[in-house]
Parts: sequence; structure tokens; C-alpha cells
Amino acid sequence: MRKVGVFICHCGINIAGSVDVEKVAEEINRYPGVAFATTYKYICSDPGQQIIKNAIQEHGLDGVIVAACSPAMHETTFRRTAAAAGMNPYLLECANIREQCSWVHQNDRARATDKALYTIQSMVEKVKRNEALDPLSLPLTKKAMVIGGGIAGITAALDIADAGYPVILVEQSDHLGGKMSNLSGTYLNFAAAPDLLTRRVDRVMNHPNIQVITDAEVTQVDGYVGNFKATVKRVGQDAILSYDVGAIVAATGYASYPLSRLPEYGGGTIPDVMDALTFEAMLAPSAKFARPSDGKSPKEVVFVQCAGSRDPEHGVPYCSQVCCMVVAKQAMLFKERMPHGQAYVFYIDIRSAGKGYDEYVQRAMTDARALYLRGKVSKIYQDGNKVIVWGSDTLSNRAIEIAADLVVLATPMAAPDGTKELAQRLHISTDANGFYNEAHPKLRPVESLTAGVFLAGAGQGPKDIPETVAQASAAAAKVLQLFSRDEMKAEPTIAQVIPELCSACGLCVKACPYGARQVDEILQVATVNPALCQACGACAAACPNKASVVRNWTPTQILFMADVLV
Amino acid sequence: MINRALVIGAGIAGIQASLDIANSGYQVALVERQPSIGGHMAQLSETFPTLDCSQCIMTPRTVEVGHHENIKLYTYSQVAEVSGTPGDFTVKIRQKTKYVNWDNCTGCGVCQEKCPWKAPAEFDRGLGVRKAIYTLSPQAVPNKPVVNPDVCVRLQSIAKGEKLKCGACLKFCPTNSIDFQQTESFVEVHVGAIVVATGFDLFPQTRLPEYGGGQIPDVIDALAFERLLSASGPTGGQVKRPSDGKEPREVVFVQCSGSRDPEHGVPYCSKICCMYTAKQAILYKHRVHHGQPYVFYIDIRAGGKGYEEFINRAQQDEGVVYLRGKVSKIYRDGDKVMVWGSDTLSGRKVEIAADLVILSMAAVPAISANGHRVPGLELALDMDGFYQSSDAELAPMESNLPGVFLAGAGIGPKDIPETVAQASGAAAKVLGMFRQALR
Repeated sequence: MRKVGVFICHCGINIAGSVDVEKVAEEINRYPGVAFATTYKYICSDPGQQIIKNAIQEHGLDGVIVAACSPAMHETTFRRTAAAAGMNPYLLECANIREQCSWVHQNDRARATDKALYTIQSMVEKVKRNEALDPLSLPLTKKAMVIGGGIAGITAALDIADAGYPVILVEQSDHLGGKMSNLSGTYLNFAAAPDLLTRRVDRVMNHPNIQVITDAEVTQVDGYVGNFKATVKRVGQDAILSYDVGAIVAATGYASYPLSRLPEYGGGTIPDVMDALTFEAMLAPSAKFARPSDGKSPKEVVFVQCAGSRDPEHGVPYCSQVCCMVVAKQAMLFKERMPHGQAYVFYIDIRSAGKGYDEYVQRAMTDARALYLRGKVSKIYQDGNKVIVWGSDTLSNRAIEIAADLVVLATPMAAPDGTKELAQRLHISTDANGFYNEAHPKLRPVESLTAGVFLAGAGQGPKDIPETVAQASAAAAKVLQLFSRDEMKAEPTIAQVIPELCSACGLCVKACPYGARQVDEILQVATVNPALCQACGACAAACPNKASVVRNWTPTQILFMADVLV
Repeated sequence: MINRALVIGAGIAGIQASLDIANSGYQVALVERQPSIGGHMAQLSETFPTLDCSQCIMTPRTVEVGHHENIKLYTYSQVAEVSGTPGDFTVKIRQKTKYVNWDNCTGCGVCQEKCPWKAPAEFDRGLGVRKAIYTLSPQAVPNKPVVNPDVCVRLQSIAKGEKLKCGACLKFCPTNSIDFQQTESFVEVHVGAIVVATGFDLFPQTRLPEYGGGQIPDVIDALAFERLLSASGPTGGQVKRPSDGKEPREVVFVQCSGSRDPEHGVPYCSKICCMYTAKQAILYKHRVHHGQPYVFYIDIRAGGKGYEEFINRAQQDEGVVYLRGKVSKIYRDGDKVMVWGSDTLSGRKVEIAADLVILSMAAVPAISANGHRVPGLELALDMDGFYQSSDAELAPMESNLPGVFLAGAGIGPKDIPETVAQASGAAAKVLGMFRQALR
């Protein structure tokens, strides 16, 4: 008979506020199979963990329930504690009495307490029947693929390659550098960006550990973390290149927003209305500073910030983060080219939060004498050889009309076409705006929810160069961590096939959303790929012979759990 | 090349960098000046924009650090001196006097219960109390206490050569771990690379006399309000004002307190305040349904992922009133706190009789705030006292010293996602260094 220990967390007042934890501890102590029950303020803390360890050793526990927050929070932590105390970690389960109990039943203490008790009892029934399991070992290819050759991809590739691992860098266009190669200067570093970038591109091209493939895209990715097989196709070529890699970094950057989505601003129709990247090209030292319509140098230039951003109804709901700074930079560069010119900037908020950024925008206002007007622009239209801009200045409460020679729209950073398709090939997801989803917005910004696939740069969301570079190095750190061992560990709580019951019908193969099932034609039995299986249970439901069972989630266990609850 | 890294500072940046290096198979010496790790993130109630409980997302990492076979934690310690060369640094670590033998101490907490002497709790920004023998919080890693000589009557009587007083902790400690004779000690470690992640502190309210200069009890900074909001804080998560414990109904948030103010405060923007103010206003509304939060601002800076939408939520769904204008004066009037500001969009002056005022005080570098310079680690600082990266654009984690890397708010104010990215980035540089030495 299993000896189960139950540890109930107060979680401060998060659980104890709605659930009478002491009462639950008392009752569960009487439950068959429970050898020990106690409560503690914060069971995830060091002393809390120590209580679990001590109890396992003193009472010889071979089953533990931690009744606290969601297993998504601390299951790994508690299982490590159990292992350290000498108990098989898979004999420990979490009973969620917080997110699924105390947090949602704050007004009914009696019933919340009852529910907590039943929840724990059902988990006790499960854990009594858990198998002791060992993590699985999987092989690992210590080679990385970086998709995207902009500053993010370049930085990630260099960090991984400098650490001694081979990198395949796949770039869609015919050159490296991405959008940064289009910049004439970066803010803070009027040092022309191309120079800074060229040095890095040179390093990449000459690095013994980096193989660069341009004019190429990734058409298919099979496999799983440590064992991906990526297929790459080059434009205009039939040959298909195939690479075995252990990790992938998606650094595909951003695209320009189509001007045609801003018809009220003459987007796409008025030649002298352009986006910031196009104006950047006009400002390049080697270029003649000439406007598209008649080649004259514009003297009155209007910048329209948030042209499409922060606009849930009509454009994109998000802020593109860099435009306030880009406009300030371009206003200053413009003033250098046209000392007698005048820049006007229409804005809603000035988002210059980075280091030295506020001071920089001040210089645009004081030194370059750019006139900043707080108000949205409602309409832009052509009138003769002028472009008329209707805006407002909310601080003086007046409507403003400017007859401009050129208008620069600070359009959103958008997810490039094809991002969603690439994401699907990489088995990662994108958000409502088309950017890659990170595993956790605060603490896991460069990981996706698919093990082995990492994110860096504007592909994950609009950001400036310093943040892009930080993320790229961070993604490299994750790859280096992965490659630091000679094999990987995988969770053993996955599906298994009972060969005697399996008729090789293949229904489980169709049911599996992760491609983790196959039928071995020779042995005539279904097999499970342990690295891909996510233990969702679809195969167990699909199998007509009950040959597919998820370890530690057997039908017997579930029926006993249901018995408690029903 | 010595395959061990020194990480200075154990806030979320130091923790992340340490884990990335340690999980790659290398040793880490993690030095933290406070008795336990976690930095300011450990003081937060929830984080923006997801409103995740800060402790919940942090404790898996702090506990992992505490138990990691590759991480040696030196808390209540400071780096005293660095010598040597990149790849072979000798670091002298000063371990401050704890007056408790941590090798013996089990963290049972009896000493804290029995100690009769109280002091304002630094962790709660002075809003709660702690004892003379204390841990920072119930979830502290390590969960072992230190004795503060300023408050401990026993230590003071020893220092004065008087008859010994108190000694309650000594009497009740079940493992005999209290040691009033303990002195500070030094440890020497050899490391190949260093990551500096010393973080930030808040500009002191005393520097803003026009906002009360820190003298008005109901004018607090955002970290203090965070402790009021926190379920593990001094009021159990109930919003009570410091002066009389009543629930405040009219709450005013003043953004840019000290920031963007070259003449009088700091010239730079502290980056995170627009977001945390919106978060705090939303959390306040969740606790005090009939309360009214007001926010005075100059610009709303919400550039990150989901940030703009979060501000919209505060303004549209949660009824937070945003007023674009600076606050000129804050003073006490009876049991109210008067706030004089303006609303530039309507062109009018605004006066609010608030119950509680929260100032978004500027973020300043922690090293400057604590005046700690390390001989042998002469890191370049910018005009505002933050670490200077070798290239702010393309090499933000590299310092002016080879083998020494930077991460987090010590370089400049930043939010948690960017801090974590920089910390992992700094780890990548360290790992690169260690691995290159193999060839």
C-alpha cells in the first residue's frame, strides 16, 4: 500500500483566504493511503521544500501530493525536491487548489474547502497508482540553423559560432544585413550604420563555423529538439538542401506596412508621401536629396508619427516602438542636409524611453528646431506641387494646415508576409498581429513553446537595435545551453503502446496532432516518438483496443479519480 | 581559462545569467549584497502586462539557484577587490557579519518570532516591520536570517561594553546557530569571466521637496505601493494608507517624479514607470472597486509587446483618469494630500484632494545609490552613473573591460523582458569565452 504525503500550501492568503487549509489537512490525513499531511505558508520556498524532503525521508513516503498552485508553476521544482530526497519524482503530483479552486470561489469558503478536499482526494487516488519512471535520453545534433540574416540573425550566428558550434544561416534576399543595411545612421550613433554592420557581415562571411545560404527559404522542418531535419530551397534552383540541426533560431525581422492601407494620407498615390525607410534612402550621404515627383530638394517636411500604429479600428493596435526615435533622427539628418529647411512632427506621445533617447529627442527640438505638434493628422492631399497636411495641435487647441514639400509617414513595423507559414513549418505560433509568440512574455522572451526553436529580434515584436542584439545573444545562450550536454532528457510521462493489444490500425497516427505516432510495418505495431509526444491523450481516446495508454494517466487511474469527484 | 563565472547582483538579471551559465555545465559564484536573492522583482505584487504574480514566476528560478549544484551563492556579501586578467581573475569577496552560523541554521524562524526588537522593514519600503534578526521575506532564498546591529540591543550592549542585554534568539535557537562573536570574513574565488548585474534603486523622495520631500506619510513611491498591493506585504494585499490605515478612495499617481528633469532631478526617462503606473492603477481598482485613480503624465511610453493594449485597458476598461500635465506641488491639508497639477489638453489647472499619492520616482543605478566601487573593476560609467556599454547599439552587454559583461538595469532602466534577454545575452558572451578557450 502506497504511503502518500499531502502538503497543502496556504500561499499566503491566496489559498488560505478562501480554503480552510487546516481542516483539509485534518480530513485528508484520515484518507486511505495518506500517511502524512501538513500545511505550510509557502510550500515553494526553501523551508517549504525542506518540509517535503524531511517528510519523505522520515515517513518513507512513496507518493506525494502538493496541493497548491497550478502544476505549470512549480511541478518541476517539486519533482526535483522529491528526487533530492530519494523518491522517484514521478510519484509526485500537484493538486491545483488555487487557480482551479481558491481563486475562483472566493465568496464561498465552505464549498471551496470541500472542493479542495475532493481535488486532493482524487489526486491521491491517482498518485497511489503512479508508476515510478525515469527520464528518457535522446541524442542531440550540435549544429544550429539561424533563419534570417539581419542584425538579429547575424548576432545569434556569431555568438553560437564563436562558441565553436557550426551554424547554417539562411537568408531570403541576396545579401546579409536586413533592414539595418538600409539605414544611413542610427540614433545615438550617427556613425553610419552600414559601417558598423559591414564589419559584422564580414565576420559572418569569413567565419569558419558559419555557412551562409542566400536567396533561400526553409520549406520544411521535421523532427524535434536536438534532432531537426530542415529543408532549404534556393530561389530558381530545383535542388533541395537538407540539414540536420539541433536548434533553430527564427530571426526573420519585420516588413514595411503597405502605404495603400493609408488612403486618407495619400498612401501609395501621392508620390511625395513616403514611409520612413524610403526617406532613409533619400537621406543617404551618397544620394541626391531629391523628392520623387520633380527631383527638387524638399524644404518643408512633415513627419506623421503613428501612421497606422495605435489604431485598432483602421490600422494595427500596437505601438511600433522605434518610430519616435527614427523620426527625431531623420529630422536631424534632414536639417543637416537642408539647413534652411523646416521639419514638423505630428505625434500622440513621444516614446523615447531608452538610454539617452529623451535627451536625443530634445536635440531634435532645440538644435534641429523641429516643430513638434501634439495631434493626429486627419488628411493629406495633393495641391499643385505641394502636399497639404491637415492636423491639429491639441496643446494650443487649434487645427493646423501645412503645405509641405514632402511627407514622411512613420508606418508600423509589420510581420512580413510568409511569417505565419514559416511559423507553421517550425511548429510555433504567431499572435494576432503576426509576430512570433514567446513562451512567456516576462521571463522567457526568446523561447518559443516548441523546444529547440528560439526567437530573436523584430520577428517577435517591434523593437530597436539594442534590444534586438540583446535578444539575439540571449537566443544564442539558449542554444549553447542545449548543446552543452551530450544528450537530452525528455519527460517519460508520455503515451505508450501495449503491443499485445495493438492491431496496427493506424487510427492513433491520424489522431496525433504532433506527428508523434507511426506504424512500424514490419513489427505491425504502433510506435511513439518520445520527443514529440506531448501526452495529450488523443491516441488513447482514438484507440479501439485500449492499446494506447498515457503513462501515469491510465484509464484505471482516471476512473478512480472520477469516483471521488462524481 | 578558469571555467567559472562571477555574477555580481542576484536580481532577476543576475539570476538569469547564473542559470544560463550553470545549466551549460560551468560553475558560478553569485554575489548579492542583500541577505537573500531576487532584487526588486521579488518586491513586486504583479508584473505588467500579464498581471502574473511576480513571486509565482520568480520562485522557480530563485529556488533553482539556491539548489543548483553549479552555483555557489554568497549573499550578504560584496565584491571587495578584483585582480588578474580575463580568463584568470582573482576575486576577493567580503562576507558581511551575519551573527548567525548559516551552516547550522535550518531557517526555522523561531528567532524572528521571539525577537522583541522591531525596525521598519526595508523590503516593505518602511511600511511594515521586521525584527532585529530578520529575513527579507517568507520566500527568501536562502531563508536564513541576519542580525542588524543598528537594532539589536544585545550587539549594542556588547559594543558599549555594558552588561549583556536580551539574547532571546540565542536562547531559543534550536540549533545553536546564533553567534554574536562572529566577524566578517573574506573568501577568494578564481573566475574566468564576470557579469555585472547590480540593478537599480529609486531616486530619494527627499530630493523632491515640492512633492513633500518624503515627509508626508501618504505620499509614497511605487515600490512601497507595490508592497501594499502584495498579498505577502505588510497589509496582506489590502490597500490601506500609511497615516491612518483607512482605504484610500482618491488615489493620484504622479509619473516622471524626478525623471526627464535635467535641472532638478535626472535628465533621462526611467522607461518602466508608465507601464507600472497603469498596472498599479488597475490593481488598485481591482481591490477598491469604488476608488478613483488619476494619473498625471507627460508622454505615455508603452512600446513593448502588449503594452499599448494594456494602457488602453487602464484608460477604457478600468476607468483610470489620465491627465496630461506635470504636478507642481503636493502638500498636506488635514487628512488629505493636495495635488496641484494641470491638464494641458483642456488647458486647465487641476487640484485633487487625494487620500494617497504614489510617485513614480526616477530609477537610479544601485551602485551609485550605495556608493560601492570595486578596486580592480573600474567600469566606465556614463554621466548618470549607469554602466557604459562598449557600444550602446551593437554591444550593449560588453563593458570597457575585457571579460567583464553587463546586464540589466545597471546599464539603464529597463523592463523585465529586456533585462532577461540581456542577462542571457551576457551569459552567451561568457559561454563563448569559455568555449573558445577549449580550442
